[in-house]
Amino acid sequence: MNRVRDALLASVLVLLILAAALMVLSTGPLGVAPSALLAAVTGRGSPEAELALALRGPRLLAALTCGAALAGAGAGFQILFRNPLAAPDLLGVSSGAGLGAALALLLGAGAALVQGAAFAGGLAAGALALACAALTRSGDARLALILCGVVAGALASAGLGLVVVIADPWSQLPSITYWLLGSFTRATLPEAVGALLPVGLGAAVLIWLGFRLDILSLGDEQARSLGLPARALRLLALAAAALMTSSAVAVAGVVGWIGLLAPHAARLVVGERAGRLIPASMALGALFALVIDRLATAFGPAEIPVGLLAAAIGAPAFLILFIATSRRA
Amino acid sequence: MSGLRLEGLVAGRTGGFRLPPLDLTVEPGEILALIGPNGAGKTTLLKTLAGLLPPLAGVIVDNGAPAYLPPPGAVSAGFSALHLTALGRARLRRWSPGLTPDDLDAARGALDRLEVGDLADRPFDRLSSGQQQLVLIARLFVQDASVCLLDEPLALLDPAHAQAVEAAIRALAAEGRVLVASTHHLPFAARADRVLAVGPDGIDVADPAEALAPDRIRALFGVEVAGCPCCGQALS
Repeated sequence: MNRVRDALLASVLVLLILAAALMVLSTGPLGVAPSALLAAVTGRGSPEAELALALRGPRLLAALTCGAALAGAGAGFQILFRNPLAAPDLLGVSSGAGLGAALALLLGAGAALVQGAAFAGGLAAGALALACAALTRSGDARLALILCGVVAGALASAGLGLVVVIADPWSQLPSITYWLLGSFTRATLPEAVGALLPVGLGAAVLIWLGFRLDILSLGDEQARSLGLPARALRLLALAAAALMTSSAVAVAGVVGWIGLLAPHAARLVVGERAGRLIPASMALGALFALVIDRLATAFGPAEIPVGLLAAAIGAPAFLILFIATSRRA
Repeated sequence: MSGLRLEGLVAGRTGGFRLPPLDLTVEPGEILALIGPNGAGKTTLLKTLAGLLPPLAGVIVDNGAPAYLPPPGAVSAGFSALHLTALGRARLRRWSPGLTPDDLDAARGALDRLEVGDLADRPFDRLSSGQQQLVLIARLFVQDASVCLLDEPLALLDPAHAQAVEAAIRALAAEGRVLVASTHHLPFAARADRVLAVGPDGIDVADPAEALAPDRIRALFGVEVAGCPCCGQALS
């Protein structure tokens, strides 16, 4: 019975994402019939359809990948820390990635190098947080991790502030600011495809961890008492979530709220078990990112940065979700 | 199943208090009650036996695969009681892709055995302390630990749940497990096989009748008691 319900739910989510993707690809200034798009995918489409696919395809892929990555990482952190406020930037990963990208932009690097620097910066901040937490002898390892994440994020933010002050206000600052606000526009096909690999790897690890994440959520003592190597598994989960976050931020800049909102929405539908919550969160995160990115271009030629839209829509949506769940409980 | 054997074990906190060295053998199937005032070191001793805290000296020669259970109300989980029970199989499934239908069957069987099968699909967090404790003890059956270390398993429980939990503890022991349970519920200690008293004057293992004699209780807790200090029930 549960299995049938899960299969049904999974197909509904996949169909929703496919429908949204078709909608995004086919509408806009260049209207293309969905059937023409499908023909273009198989390589026998009209020039318009191929143009729409080439223009919108990478961006679509980037939005899907980043949305899924942020939501999956957010769900992982929320389970691991038993904290509904845990978000993908918990270990300071987003700030670290922002610092990396801003430094690269300051030095006049090209797009690929900026992405690489953001990725490295995010992982460095996450590693710093993990290393600091390993030095503590606190009874509650999770508290140490949260505090060290705050420290790593604060250091990266300070560095970012410095870069912003140093940056040339005419030539460099706008690009840094724009990068930080988040956008899927700049994604090229190689970049979007390049993010798929680390995101897929991180997601595979989190999904494999599955019931082991549920046990880690009970705390170290319970995990060790149940015969699991708690520290090693938690490190693996944190590394996977940090990898996913860094990849997403490197492609899209800092896009908040998806990683917080999608797991909460998913929890309402599939419950708390990690094995179901993580895939469901990723699907909803992908959908949410897609919808937000479509809205970003819906109000005229000047795009609204998706980071702003995600917060503007995500924050009230989060509040509504919270009120709904608290009333149901 | 293997028993529990300690040689000169010193439990304590690094830089904090130390309990005196303890030499002890607990046979499979035996129930050892752990009594003593708050802060005497009962939890520290249990966690040391469970391998969660390092011994300050001495060795645990054998503690099988120990399982530690914190007091009622200390475990919180949003998923179902059935899933929480099935997680007891984690040791067997450490590197497997997931839990199997067998694990769920075992969990369901253990919940049924403790007559809480009807709670299987309820979120664990929504259960009462007594129901939660029964679910966690069902998990000990599923986990198949040979040494069960229970921290105040009867705390916060109403009489009916306390009876059910005590019966479940006996059933765990009857299958050949070592049961060590700390308690302030002295009638439970009176029904145990042996009593380990942790107090200001050191550690002492004795038969219940001897360990719970009025002068011993007075020395241990510093109060005069005719019966159990918490419920007044006669101790022998």
